[in-house]
Amino acid sequence: MADRLLLLLPELVLFAGAVLVAVAGLSPRREIRRALPGITAGFLLVAMAAVAFVHSGERAAVAAVLTPMPALTGWVRLATCGIAALLSLLTVGTIDRRLEADVQAGRLDFNPLMAGRGEFHAFFLLSIIGLLLCTSATDLIWLFVALELTSLPTYVMVAMSRPSRRAQEAAMKYFFLGALSAAIFLYGFALLYGATGTLIFSEMSAAFAAQRAGDGIPLVANVGLVLAIVGIGYKIAAVPMHFYAADVYEGAAAPVTAFLGYVPKAAGAVAMLIVLGAVGWEGGLPEPVLTTLWMSAVLTMTLGNIGALLQKSVKRMLAYSSIAHSGYLLIGIIAGPGLGITAVILYLVAYGVMNTGAFAVLASLERRGREIEDVEDLAGLRHRHPALAVALALCAGSLLGFPPLLGFVGKLYLFIAGVEAGQVLLVVIGAINSAISAWYYLILVGVPILGAPTARSETVDAVPSRWPRVAAVLAAVLVVLLPIVAARLAPRIDAGTAVRAAPDPASAAAARR
Amino acid sequence: MTTLFPMLAVSAEGATGLPDWPIAAPAAGFGWAGLILWLPLLSLLGCGLCWLSGTRSKLPAWITVVSLGLAFVTTAVLFTRVDAPIIIHLFDWLVLDWRSEAGEAGGFTANFSLYVDRLTLLWMLFVTGLGTLIALYASEYMAGDRGRGYARFFAGVSVFLFAMSCLVMGDNLVLLYLGWEGVGFASYWLIGYFYTRPSAVAAAKKAFIVNRIGDLGLALGLYLVWSTFGTVEYQGLFTALRNGAAGEALLHGGWSVQAIPFLLMLGAFGKSAQLPLYVWLPDAMEGPTPVSALIHAATMVTAGVYLLARLFPLLTLHPAALPAVAWIGGLTALLAATIGMAQYDIKRIMAYSTVSQLGYMFLGIGVGTTFGAAYHVFTHAFFKAVLFLTCGAVMHGFAGQLDLRRLSGLRHMPGWRITSYTMLVGCLCLAGFPLTSGFFSKDAIIAEAFSHGGTGAAMLGWLALVVAGLTAYYTFRVWFRVCAGPAHYEMGDEHHGDDAAHGAGAGHAGGHPGGHPGGHAGGHAGGHAGDAGHGGGHGGGHGSHPHAPGIAINLVLLVITACALLAAIPYFLPSGVEGVAGGWVAGMVAGSSAAAGLPASGGAHGTFLGLDPHTAMYVVSAAVGLVGIAVAWRLHLADRAAADRLRGRLLGNPALRWLPVAMERKWYVDEIYDALIRQPLWVLGHVLASIDRIVIDLLLVDCTARLPRLLARAFQPLYGGLLQSYALFMAGGVALVALLVLFMPELIAKLGTILGGGG
Repeated sequence: MADRLLLLLPELVLFAGAVLVAVAGLSPRREIRRALPGITAGFLLVAMAAVAFVHSGERAAVAAVLTPMPALTGWVRLATCGIAALLSLLTVGTIDRRLEADVQAGRLDFNPLMAGRGEFHAFFLLSIIGLLLCTSATDLIWLFVALELTSLPTYVMVAMSRPSRRAQEAAMKYFFLGALSAAIFLYGFALLYGATGTLIFSEMSAAFAAQRAGDGIPLVANVGLVLAIVGIGYKIAAVPMHFYAADVYEGAAAPVTAFLGYVPKAAGAVAMLIVLGAVGWEGGLPEPVLTTLWMSAVLTMTLGNIGALLQKSVKRMLAYSSIAHSGYLLIGIIAGPGLGITAVILYLVAYGVMNTGAFAVLASLERRGREIEDVEDLAGLRHRHPALAVALALCAGSLLGFPPLLGFVGKLYLFIAGVEAGQVLLVVIGAINSAISAWYYLILVGVPILGAPTARSETVDAVPSRWPRVAAVLAAVLVVLLPIVAARLAPRIDAGTAVRAAPDPASAAAARR
Repeated sequence: MTTLFPMLAVSAEGATGLPDWPIAAPAAGFGWAGLILWLPLLSLLGCGLCWLSGTRSKLPAWITVVSLGLAFVTTAVLFTRVDAPIIIHLFDWLVLDWRSEAGEAGGFTANFSLYVDRLTLLWMLFVTGLGTLIALYASEYMAGDRGRGYARFFAGVSVFLFAMSCLVMGDNLVLLYLGWEGVGFASYWLIGYFYTRPSAVAAAKKAFIVNRIGDLGLALGLYLVWSTFGTVEYQGLFTALRNGAAGEALLHGGWSVQAIPFLLMLGAFGKSAQLPLYVWLPDAMEGPTPVSALIHAATMVTAGVYLLARLFPLLTLHPAALPAVAWIGGLTALLAATIGMAQYDIKRIMAYSTVSQLGYMFLGIGVGTTFGAAYHVFTHAFFKAVLFLTCGAVMHGFAGQLDLRRLSGLRHMPGWRITSYTMLVGCLCLAGFPLTSGFFSKDAIIAEAFSHGGTGAAMLGWLALVVAGLTAYYTFRVWFRVCAGPAHYEMGDEHHGDDAAHGAGAGHAGGHPGGHPGGHAGGHAGGHAGDAGHGGGHGGGHGSHPHAPGIAINLVLLVITACALLAAIPYFLPSGVEGVAGGWVAGMVAGSSAAAGLPASGGAHGTFLGLDPHTAMYVVSAAVGLVGIAVAWRLHLADRAAADRLRGRLLGNPALRWLPVAMERKWYVDEIYDALIRQPLWVLGHVLASIDRIVIDLLLVDCTARLPRLLARAFQPLYGGLLQSYALFMAGGVALVALLVLFMPELIAKLGTILGGGG
């Protein structure tokens, strides 16, 4: 029990942070309310240190026993805390902007009932906690609760991200469709329980091993797995659960869209890996599961990319491209242990950083007090905000997978993993899609850097807060520097990706405790 | 192939019995030597930060001077510590390991390691030493560009020093190639420094493109070395060569082995500006003068000599290789010297003289005296640096005036004394005046050509002797015209201080509009010192009076001049290696792979008119040099009108009319290249471009590009924004998947085998 609690130390730290910011947000003192994103970031950095602490030295061995995939628990949690700290910089000045402006101007007295900033940051941290918990899920119930803990706060965050009808509409769509998807994967979980008689992954994996050795995996289990995968696919916006993505991403404010691009997606990818880990990649994934994943990957990449082609709105373009990136991720998920999982983890980190960077640029710009919309708003950005233009160009280049930027390294690992797993055709389709994506990503590189300012883009200006700009520059620096680290890190991540095929009695007992 | 060179009795015996030379072994505890590489990188970083901050101070210069100075100190310390050759491993770089299908072990290793032997140290000493001094000189010379241009300049110098150190110190051919391309890039960067001046941009492009041809040769050569000997590391390569791998490779190899020396040669000829690739170097003088002195005279252009000296054992792979090097070198020396005689732009004369002197060095390698070549590199680095830096001082002081017809009597003008006399020393060295450093190094090469034996080598010796005379003539033509005689000048039309005038944002727009006055512009209008500038009306309020060089320029000139004079001393120092004559430099070379190219002691079998060439040459070449100087004195100082009369007489003689014109127009080589290479390529380019436009762009690309957009349009109606329809589509999708799983397992199995591969 004590071991388990120690493993959850980062989550506990963040939970304390969530409670603190929820209360602090009601403070009548403006400085305290202003400090909320900073406090959030602070707790995230402490949690990051806690992850490092929990997974270092001899504690690492203990952590490894307690979790289904130690690499996920360690690296994904570490990266998530870091990226979330970056994300919290984006939110500075976004929530309650009008209210705070009115209070400062003396038009309004501060009323705790109207303040949403504390709540928002509490939800922010809770959603992160959900993602962190996902990585160490040892049974289906834990996984389900963790997934929902990740998603539920995001529905509220979308709604309160900006005072517009479109945000509310997006939140409603997101919530209802999310509920639908939860129903689907919960149904899948139930069928899995029916087929194996257990909720615990290590025991489930033993049951599957026995079934494989016997008559093969029964249809119920296959249907359960497929429904679970497809349902969880909602979190990563994989076809056919991708319909919400463009509307919701466009409706939410840019900082929240950046959040949606990383946190639920990471949770979904992690959950898929854990569920698939129960059935195991050795001897091949069951045929129906493989086919579902395969077709989903192809359709997700392709529909995402061609959807992005026609968009004029930058956010919608990035939303569709986010769908496409989920398709690339699925290649790694199909490839499985070893390089595949390493590649998924690296790609999640890469995508988190570059996506945050791109949205940070959008969050740093406004036109007449509103978020910028059109690509044209970015024309000639270099002339007035050179740092932002370069950051956007670097992040878009990285999203495109331009060597030697971070996205290239991530994609390279995914594609190598795919080839090693024998999925050559899938990788070829991925590469073609990558080429198609150049069409719209190069617009994001070219328009700000090479384009001449237009009358419309002259009216675009930076938001008063400097922190989103700082986040954009930080992300751009990471996009350039991380590839150097990634190559050294990959083998270390690799070492932790082995899935325990047979249940280890000690760990099973530990898990039950 | 020997039949191609029937005149030259080839020393093919080198291939069978390579002399022993020490091969480096890895040594620990020398990690600090890596500083020689890292310091220029640090300086690059510092200059980059200065560029970002847009500082207008001289900070970038001081950063560079201090880093390069420390690099020099590190080199000097390394020099004292290293006795036997060593390899210093810095970090693993490219380490590939593979096993072929048959289980045969294979691999490729190129580490970031330094191969330090005497040849390396010899080169690094003058590279870092001159680099430091010239950076100091440039701190004053470039002062007019303080601001971003200043930082950009010193960043380029830092890049150059890093790349040059990689080239010289690398312990494998890949690192050498990295440095090779790096110096080429730095050279492109700095030649094009005045990027608003079309001639500078064109010169930078020309240098880069012509070098590509050579680099292609080097790259192919490296590949063949690797495929033949299985390694690109000097240690393995030399060990294999010493154990007779060359003979074995020749037995099995055939043309791919025999091509190695010629491909390496092509690389060397490109970088070191030899026939037929020399055309970029004279144009490279568009760069700021310190760059011309450092990169295009003293250091980078000697990389080709270094390459051939370092890989001398490989040159024995084909019997015609060494004769080819010798003849190319000799002919380049002659051609460049004749062009240099007829130019009017003093910097351009120095450029042709550099090409010519590089020809000597290759001649030296070709006749088997790597020591002579290396020594000439060493002395030439100093005296040519002096000459360029003095030309730079003149250009700096007279607003870009370089025409030797419009400058005279510099030594009588106040503040120009140091410049004039340091230039005199440089000229004496270049002309091979007795007892100067150039005299000894040039003699070592010419004498060896005679003592090498064979008619061909003797012919080359006579050729080199003639060129020595021409060199003395054109060198002193410059000095007698510019520094001696009555004081008289015309200002150039160049402005300084671009950045100051235009602010950081505008960059260099409008700076340096005129460029060179063009050597044959004609017209001798001008006045005497004092009122000439007013009459000229040039200079825009700045350049109407010459301004004499300041402390930094004078200091550097004096120090390098002293070095140029002292460079004669190593000739008399003991070599420290038994059986090797020729002083300290010969000893330096003897401790390295270039030792294979040293003349065997006592093996001199050729003579000079029956005399021992080494003894006779002291007198003969001194006499030839003095004759050249005397002719220059007669034509360009004692009676300047005589030069014009001579020219007029030549032009009036129908049989010889073409000669002075052809020399002035550089033997029409640029025009010939233009007609033979550039024009056909231009036509081909346009043909290909139109194919590209019509077939590829219109038919293939546009059609393919439309496809995804059409698809996108087809799917757009799906995303109507209605919640219910989204839910319906999602549920439908799930149902479809579930149905597939439930009812079509056979179909899925089939699909899976078709699509999934090994999944």
